[in-house]
Amino acid sequence: MKIIVLNCGSSSIKYQLFDMTTTEVLAKGVAEKIGLHGSFIKHERLDGTKVKIEGEILDHQAGIEYILGILKSEKYGSIKNFNEIDAVGHRVVHGAEAFKGSEYITDEVVKKMEECIDLAPLHNPPNLKGIYAMQHLLPGVPQVGAFDTAFHQTMEPHAYMYAIPYSLYRKYGLRRYGFHGSSHRYVSARAAEMLGKDLKDLKMITCHLGNGASIAAIKGGKSVDTSMGLTPVEGLIMGTRTGDLDAGVLLYIMQKENIDHLNANILVNKHSGMLGITGVSSDMREIETAAEANNERAILGLEMYHYRIRKYIGSYAAAMGGVDVIIFTGGVGENGPETREEVCKDMEFLGLEFDPEANKGKRGKEVIISKPGSRVTAMVVPTNEELVIARDTERIVLESVNK
Amino acid sequence: MPETLDDFALSKRIQKKGSIQKVAVIGCGSMGQEITRTVAQHGMDVVFIEVSEAKIKEVFQQIDAHLDEVINQWGLTVGEKRVILSHIKGSVDFNDIRDADLVIESINSQKPGTNINMRKEVFRKVEEIVAEDVVITSNNSTLMISEIASELKHPERTAGLHFISPSASIKIVEVIRGIETNDATFDFVLKFAKMIEKQAIVINESPGHVSSRLIVTLINEACETLMEGVASVQCIDTTMKMGYGLLFGPFEMADRIGLDNLLKWMDNLYAEYGLQKFKASPIIKRLVRAGYHGLKTGKGFYKYENGKIISQAITATEFK
Repeated sequence: MKIIVLNCGSSSIKYQLFDMTTTEVLAKGVAEKIGLHGSFIKHERLDGTKVKIEGEILDHQAGIEYILGILKSEKYGSIKNFNEIDAVGHRVVHGAEAFKGSEYITDEVVKKMEECIDLAPLHNPPNLKGIYAMQHLLPGVPQVGAFDTAFHQTMEPHAYMYAIPYSLYRKYGLRRYGFHGSSHRYVSARAAEMLGKDLKDLKMITCHLGNGASIAAIKGGKSVDTSMGLTPVEGLIMGTRTGDLDAGVLLYIMQKENIDHLNANILVNKHSGMLGITGVSSDMREIETAAEANNERAILGLEMYHYRIRKYIGSYAAAMGGVDVIIFTGGVGENGPETREEVCKDMEFLGLEFDPEANKGKRGKEVIISKPGSRVTAMVVPTNEELVIARDTERIVLESVNK
Repeated sequence: MPETLDDFALSKRIQKKGSIQKVAVIGCGSMGQEITRTVAQHGMDVVFIEVSEAKIKEVFQQIDAHLDEVINQWGLTVGEKRVILSHIKGSVDFNDIRDADLVIESINSQKPGTNINMRKEVFRKVEEIVAEDVVITSNNSTLMISEIASELKHPERTAGLHFISPSASIKIVEVIRGIETNDATFDFVLKFAKMIEKQAIVINESPGHVSSRLIVTLINEACETLMEGVASVQCIDTTMKMGYGLLFGPFEMADRIGLDNLLKWMDNLYAEYGLQKFKASPIIKRLVRAGYHGLKTGKGFYKYENGKIISQAITATEFK
């Protein structure tokens, strides 16, 4: 079975073509600057052929049309005919309470997805555009939506409710939803596999540390808590997002700086986080370089960043009544041995004996970074959200055929 | 020939026509700059036409300063500012608008009286240069688009497109259908409005549209109230702001519009309708003659420093 996985952002489309018999990625790439000037597609094939093709991409439909054209082309293609594409999997950011898992896309499902737009006005509309475009371009090919929020739908009310008037939850669905669901799900399952243990027997804390960052408490394979909330602003300190913040601080800033909710939104999403604190960058490597050169704010930023993660690990261990495995993933989690060390050191009280040697220099690889015999295992598991979506798509399409 | 995405198109359905990649703004005074920034912020290229290289330089300085102010207000990141500026070009040469998909005339004359003839001339000049189907619009407040376009070969491709300042935060534009405006043109302008995230208010051509016609009468009545000594400038503004939730009181609004502009609107509307309610208040005439043009000159109904009100410039007693 061949499956295309699409991740449509506001002005970009990431795509991967999977051969599910081997789970090999036959081709992948990204269309950038959709609807803007200077748009292009970067395409890469399994055999290493890489190409960047420029041209005008007016909208998502045009972008997907070009992507399909490239995938079928003689020069860069991986398929001869569109009949070879058996299904399409879409990443969808917000599924609210309507979606507890990935779903076969029907008109009714699309309607429910449209109702979720209110909660993710920036992310869900482009996701939907990708679905509309595929319905148009590959009519009859099954499509599946995989939701960033779905994995966390197993949280109990005491974990997901905010202490605001209950009527607001009823009225707007204001609660914690959490994101990066496919990633937390993938790395937790993969870690259990690596350890040769049953997911059901494990208490895990998964740290997805990228430009956006979230952490999840996973007990018996189910998400019981996660740091992102209604929106991705809550929780860990991120590249440009505040993470946890006293609501009073935001109100105070809005009043004193005389700004409206739009600018306040930009303030907490784009001006804050590591960039806001350090004034250096939102990029961890640049901040670490600045810290090595004794930049005080870079040092402070890193201390805050690590401290926040440690605080969450402690609280999630308490929430689950212990922890067996701590997993690092995402750009920083996979490629930042320094970050992992700062987070994991001096955690013996929790049963974690960190192994600096095993951690040192390890980037983008599956590796255990705690000492043999450590009660808590710390490990790095590179994430693969696309594969999760492809697998879900395959499973759901096969189920629908066998129904 | 390097390959382009067109080589991989599945069909010819991907039409380039109808896309808006480049917008020309003719005249880059304060409103022209607001339009320029808004368009560039939405990822389209803008070329603005000004009268001299010195003026172009000044425009860029003002746009730069404004964007810095937005950054200070947390509304933009430094990276986003760079992107916006990369979309903007200034020119003194009308030939540089040749490949524009949409033209917005936004000229501003310091001379008193109506500038209909200047606008007509701009429209004629534009028509000579751009392709036959390029939509040409005017951002004027009180003149008729049908009249401005009356000497064109293809007046059906014209429409009114009226922005209200500060256009970054005002979520509407007035889209005006002239006598000759055809559906394709009108739909194109509506699409543009959507692209810059504005709600289009559909207007059947009428002097002053909705916005200018109503604000002019409010400001005139505020002047009457002031002249009668009923309350001070500040008290009248505060009453309307706090009492009715307006963003600005009538006098502060007048200063922001520019009293010279306002006077033109009033003169035009009075000429069109012949109604007393549109006749410019003597206070406005007097202030304009004295060079009190409002915010942009640092004094109008209020005195300003760095764009902020520092005191009331005139009192009711002066007009008793």
